[in-house]
Amino acid sequence: MNQIFSNIFNWVNHRLPIVNTFERHLSKHPVPKKVNFWYLFGALASVTLIIQIVSGIWLIMPYENTEEGAFASVEYIMRDVDYGWVIRYMHTTGASLFFAVVYLHMFRGLLYGSYQKPRELVWIFGCTIYLAMMAEGFLGYVLPYGQMSYWGAQVIISLFGAIPYVGESLELWVRGDYYISGITVSRFFALHVVALPLVLIALVFLHLVALHEVGAGNPEGVDIEEHLDEDGIPLDSVPFFPYKVLNALVGIGVFMTVFAIIMFFFPEGGGYFIEMANFEEANPLVTPEHIAPVWYYAPYYTMLRAVPDPLGGLIVMGSAVAIFFVVPWLDRSNVASIRYKGIYSKIALGLFAISFITLGYLGTVGVTEIRKTVSLICTVLYFAFFLLMPIYTKLETTKEVPNRL
Amino acid sequence: MKNKLKFILSTKTSFVLISLCILTSLSLDAAEGGPCKDYGECDEFNYSLNNKESLQRGASTFLNYCYGCHSLQYSRWGRVAADLNIPEELFFDNLVFDNAVKSGDLMKGAMSKEDSADWFGVAPPDLTLVTRSKGDDWVYTYLRAYYEDSSKQYGVNNLVYPGTAMPNVLVDLQGNQKLVCKNIPLIGKNGGEKRDDDGKTLTKEKCGYLEVVDGEGLLSKEEFDSLIYDLTNFLVYVGEPAKAERERIGWYVIFFFVIFTALSSLLYREYQKDYH
Repeated sequence: MNQIFSNIFNWVNHRLPIVNTFERHLSKHPVPKKVNFWYLFGALASVTLIIQIVSGIWLIMPYENTEEGAFASVEYIMRDVDYGWVIRYMHTTGASLFFAVVYLHMFRGLLYGSYQKPRELVWIFGCTIYLAMMAEGFLGYVLPYGQMSYWGAQVIISLFGAIPYVGESLELWVRGDYYISGITVSRFFALHVVALPLVLIALVFLHLVALHEVGAGNPEGVDIEEHLDEDGIPLDSVPFFPYKVLNALVGIGVFMTVFAIIMFFFPEGGGYFIEMANFEEANPLVTPEHIAPVWYYAPYYTMLRAVPDPLGGLIVMGSAVAIFFVVPWLDRSNVASIRYKGIYSKIALGLFAISFITLGYLGTVGVTEIRKTVSLICTVLYFAFFLLMPIYTKLETTKEVPNRL
Repeated sequence: MKNKLKFILSTKTSFVLISLCILTSLSLDAAEGGPCKDYGECDEFNYSLNNKESLQRGASTFLNYCYGCHSLQYSRWGRVAADLNIPEELFFDNLVFDNAVKSGDLMKGAMSKEDSADWFGVAPPDLTLVTRSKGDDWVYTYLRAYYEDSSKQYGVNNLVYPGTAMPNVLVDLQGNQKLVCKNIPLIGKNGGEKRDDDGKTLTKEKCGYLEVVDGEGLLSKEEFDSLIYDLTNFLVYVGEPAKAERERIGWYVIFFFVIFTALSSLLYREYQKDYH
């Protein structure tokens, strides 16, 4: 019996590189032996992606992508579908935590210079994933067709209208109608469940293939490839399985505990994960008292509001996301990790983090004069972090990086 | 001492502190009033979904006083009876006033939307999700914040929802509530009441208090508050029928992941010895 199995396996393996691929990407793949918790968020992001795909598939089954039926079908899921509420809360909690995990993952990149040579492509694929996620999240938020879905979509789609010359026709093209309607809902549904997930999965695949080509980084910024054993394996590395897998498993355990606490006890996240106004069906005749995005878009929404001109706001908001792509070429430092960079980098990254969090908070509350001023200051700080990077990373004195991890 | 200073100045801590300072100062700069408008802060509501008797009383109040105008269109009759431990026969005999209704039907309401819009100027909203879109605190406070105001169409107004289109249907139970002014003792800087030279308490008139004349309603203030509590509790249940079960199951899931984390971290430590 065993003989038959191994014969079949060998037959397939000679025609399809199963063993090679498995060893290269999963089992023998060398990873730095000393990393910290910041290096777990990549694994957590993949776990969340799987949660989103699986829960999403089950949500599609009872969901109705029409103007009349969308909102009611979500309540049908919450009430009449067996454990439908589990599936839906998994998806809503997953969406917020996906962004939380990805923001921390990106911050890790900035902290330890994960974008530096030779990992520029890994970083760029990552930025593209983030961009696709933002679109995916927005499209998904429209589907329950509550008040915030409708008015959020109204705000975002009207952004296209700010583009000169083609704006108005572009707006019409995106909406598929003269106002947001069932046509908009069903096209957003198609994009949310087919088009963008395909793009996301392809990008994640490229992100990982590129990463495994150049190898994972570490918080010291040491190049482990410089000290190899006789088999050509880095001395400061351990194989992915079982060491890295077990490490990730602990992280996944903690993450899932947090996930469960939110999902079962605070699924609305105090109105930040599911906004209260979204429990009212979309009504084109009644504008909600204040339109706020979900927390993960809030920093960019604040920037949009801080600039008085719609086109200017759109450009600022777009640049704020686009600027991540060129970080590998803005950083002129001769070291990767913040541990060995100088004081300027530390202050810059700190101010960046503070301004990002403050912008996020401001996006969820109403506007006052003071808040407006603070948003402008934070927007300037946000951009200063990137635009001044070539200067401060070049000027500062860095510490010497050790040879070995 | 030097270490202490180092701790205070350590970059991470100071960044966290600075962000906290900014966020608190910004949140104090409130742009909008509270959700309960003229009432001030909403009264706090703590639901108790395992108190089936409260839910049953709430359902009875809703079906007798509210369901005439307000539907619960995403909720089903039979599910409510089952979840509230009311035998279906008893439920249909006493609380369902339409003989055509079947157990699996949605609680679509007793009035057509067109008629009600005609009669009231605006169709009474569906209330299935009202505790989720407005908050249970809001509902609990709103229903107790009606007061007499002859300038309005139904002779009443509401502190939580000024200009509300709904009459106070519970006025027989509550009695006529009025906005009154009261003499409030002045409190000194030391926390004690201020008094004049004769030892009399100094007071200041403040208005905007809700008060029912004793004996006007069928229920006392406490009884009425408890009626509204049950009603709101029922609406919290209707807003999310699985809520009680969700919170029950949640503990098991968390317990599972805590054990999972503990075991995997023990295993991880064991394997870590290979390269440390």
